[in-house]
Amino acid sequence: MEWNHYILIGILSASVFFVAGAWALHWAWKTGQLSNMEQGACSIFDEDEPQGEITDRFPVRRKRRNFRGNPTVE
Amino acid sequence: MSSNPSLVESINPSNGPVLDMRARLGEVDDSMRKPAMLFLVSAVFWLLAGTLLAMVAAIKATNQDFLGDSEWMTFGRIHAAHLNTMIYGWGNNIIFAVAPWIMARLCKARIRHTNILMLAGIFWNVALTIGILGIFKGDMIGVEYLEMPQYVAPIMLITYALVGVWVVIAFRFRQSEHVYVSQWYILAAFFWLPWLYSVAQIMLVFEPATGVVQSLTNWWYQHNLMGLWLTPIALGTAYYLIPKVLGRPIHSYYLSVVGFWSLAMFFAFAGIHSLIGGPVPAWVISIGVVSSVMLLIPIVVTAINLHLTVVGAHNEGWASPTMRFVVFGAINFTAVGVIGAMMSLRHVSETTHFTHFTVGHAHHALYAFFSMIMFGAVYYMMPRLLLKEWRNPFLIKAHWYMSGMGGILMVVALMVGGWVQGMQMNALDADGAPVYDFLQIVENTKPFLWARSMGGLMIMVGHFAFAMNVFWMIFSPVEVDKVTEPTLLTSTPDKA
Amino acid sequence: MKSLPLLFLGIFITMALSWSVVVLFPHQQMQNLTPASSDLTDDQEKPIGGAVYYVDGKPYLGKNIEGDDTFPVKLVGEAQRGKLVYEEMGCMYCHTQQVRRQGYGADFERGWGERQSVPRDYILQERVMLGSMRTGPDLTNVGSRYPAEWHYQHLYNAQITSKGSTMPPFPFLFEIKEVSENFGPSADAVDMQAYNPGPGYEVVPTQRAKDLVAYLMNLKQDYELPEIKFSE
Repeated sequence: MEWNHYILIGILSASVFFVAGAWALHWAWKTGQLSNMEQGACSIFDEDEPQGEITDRFPVRRKRRNFRGNPTVE
Repeated sequence: MSSNPSLVESINPSNGPVLDMRARLGEVDDSMRKPAMLFLVSAVFWLLAGTLLAMVAAIKATNQDFLGDSEWMTFGRIHAAHLNTMIYGWGNNIIFAVAPWIMARLCKARIRHTNILMLAGIFWNVALTIGILGIFKGDMIGVEYLEMPQYVAPIMLITYALVGVWVVIAFRFRQSEHVYVSQWYILAAFFWLPWLYSVAQIMLVFEPATGVVQSLTNWWYQHNLMGLWLTPIALGTAYYLIPKVLGRPIHSYYLSVVGFWSLAMFFAFAGIHSLIGGPVPAWVISIGVVSSVMLLIPIVVTAINLHLTVVGAHNEGWASPTMRFVVFGAINFTAVGVIGAMMSLRHVSETTHFTHFTVGHAHHALYAFFSMIMFGAVYYMMPRLLLKEWRNPFLIKAHWYMSGMGGILMVVALMVGGWVQGMQMNALDADGAPVYDFLQIVENTKPFLWARSMGGLMIMVGHFAFAMNVFWMIFSPVEVDKVTEPTLLTSTPDKA
Repeated sequence: MKSLPLLFLGIFITMALSWSVVVLFPHQQMQNLTPASSDLTDDQEKPIGGAVYYVDGKPYLGKNIEGDDTFPVKLVGEAQRGKLVYEEMGCMYCHTQQVRRQGYGADFERGWGERQSVPRDYILQERVMLGSMRTGPDLTNVGSRYPAEWHYQHLYNAQITSKGSTMPPFPFLFEIKEVSENFGPSADAVDMQAYNPGPGYEVVPTQRAKDLVAYLMNLKQDYELPEIKFSE
């Protein structure tokens, strides 16, 4: 295929995408998709890893081993 | 067994016979264990290989006779092998481990048919090995970041796509109400990369474009590989891990959305500033310069947002290995962005262009930002995948200090050295003749290159500490009590 | 954000736009470039300044002057093969092939070129290796700067010609042979000065070294083009 065609396709698709994007933005704005965003920030927490709980720390140094060979933490 | 689901049906986790639609995090982790560990272990091996190659290249930069008699070990090939090992071996493998895992967790969906993902992993690493050997053998392609011979490119594209499809499937069948910003970043990155990679391969290797259009495509690819692949993944990871570790939501969700779109918009054009002064139309370069400066918007926005999330929780952050690495990376994201914007100005570029400054900038972005965030992700992910605790806190600290300080030493040495090199290269006396002879400049930059090698040595120590801890954990027989909790909570005194 | 169509469109728009602007438009601009004589004429064979001329405000591409040499020229034979050696050795990691305009950097003052490099210079190259790093000097015009023997010595061990250089040696592009008792030293043996092998032996370049040097000797932008003259 000639390079001209690629360029034509490029320009066409770019403009189609641009118009569609502008329309979608307008639609999102009108229908309130962009409001109440802060709620989404909490969506990463659930009952397994709830908000307010720290989930990562340096492993505590092991002092002794229990009878199963598992580390006991103090 | 008349109701055997077809493959398409069975991809949907909600079609499982007994399981709940919405997976708990422990179940998600469980489904990702094998593929994520395969990618992670490969990534660690490539990281070590890339580090060794980097050391050889660094020594050769000051002592050119080192391994000088071997064609396979000549500087150009070592350099290319180092670059490709790090980006496609370490970078992409670790992304394939971390990104689908975060995606699956956020979608609350188990990943099905992980065997195919494993197969992709094996193909990816085999292709990569052939590609790196091809570079050593002399099949190298003279296009920066795409040096691997063309016979491996199709396999790599297919495996890219395969991993991408699994990410999209996880997203398609998500059981979560919200689409969190990390999911955008990861999803977008997995769409952008195959496009970038295939276009670059076609226009540079298989059907090379005319003249300097190749150079434009090359820089477009190089910069977007960083900007639209590594950066979104690293930021998505940071946006997930920082709130997650601290147990507090991101400061402003709105800002993270602004950051995403401005990053996507401006980064895509920024790469062309690397051709300032080169034989390309001036208007393309101007676009590159403008968008590089505009990149300050997402950088500042992201910096403010992440900083305000962490503020007031510094002790908790310091106590978490994940946070140490991720915050280090996030701070360097800001730094590298500001420096990059300055480098794109014509007056600054006149000095920094063609010098070690650029090399320093690349390591700043790829190591101090991207890799450090990925290390942080590994420290968070592995205990949850294996239900084991990290074996040795000292090794974690050694990794953090060595990588952090070594990385900074390397970047600073290269940038200062590059600046000196650029100033001396352009310095003219009153008669308009160069003040410094070329070989004199070579001599003057050597101390900086030695400092760079020192930084590299520290990084190497860090990486070996990291690898040791990883394998120690994998091979340790001890598992934590997993009956009580679906996710592993660290063995803090009150939890143990 | 709940609007997924917006997300997907945005993802595509960014990529499509940047690809069109950065890659496709420049390609459109450059694809009509052909080798040109240093000056062009219009329809009436009248010389024009630059690459285009205007009739009624409309631009037309100038025509080559009949009989004049056109540039750039395509690499052939040894030089063409030598470029592959240049590529596989990774020379481009330390050497650029682009001259910046006068006053921007010191490329002219260092003797790396007499004019700025322009897109037309590269149109016949199958692989364009502009380079991004000047650990070593720019090579755009290296073919005009040194004789072939200098290149052989420099490649064998850069210390012979450039003491203190950090360029890697390429001894594997050469063979050390016993000097023939009947015929004496080979015609293409190179004097490696301090790096000569012991008496009775000589250093002879392999075909790959000859190709590479042929390529380096062909690296020159020593011609003028319609859009660029010397000292610009």
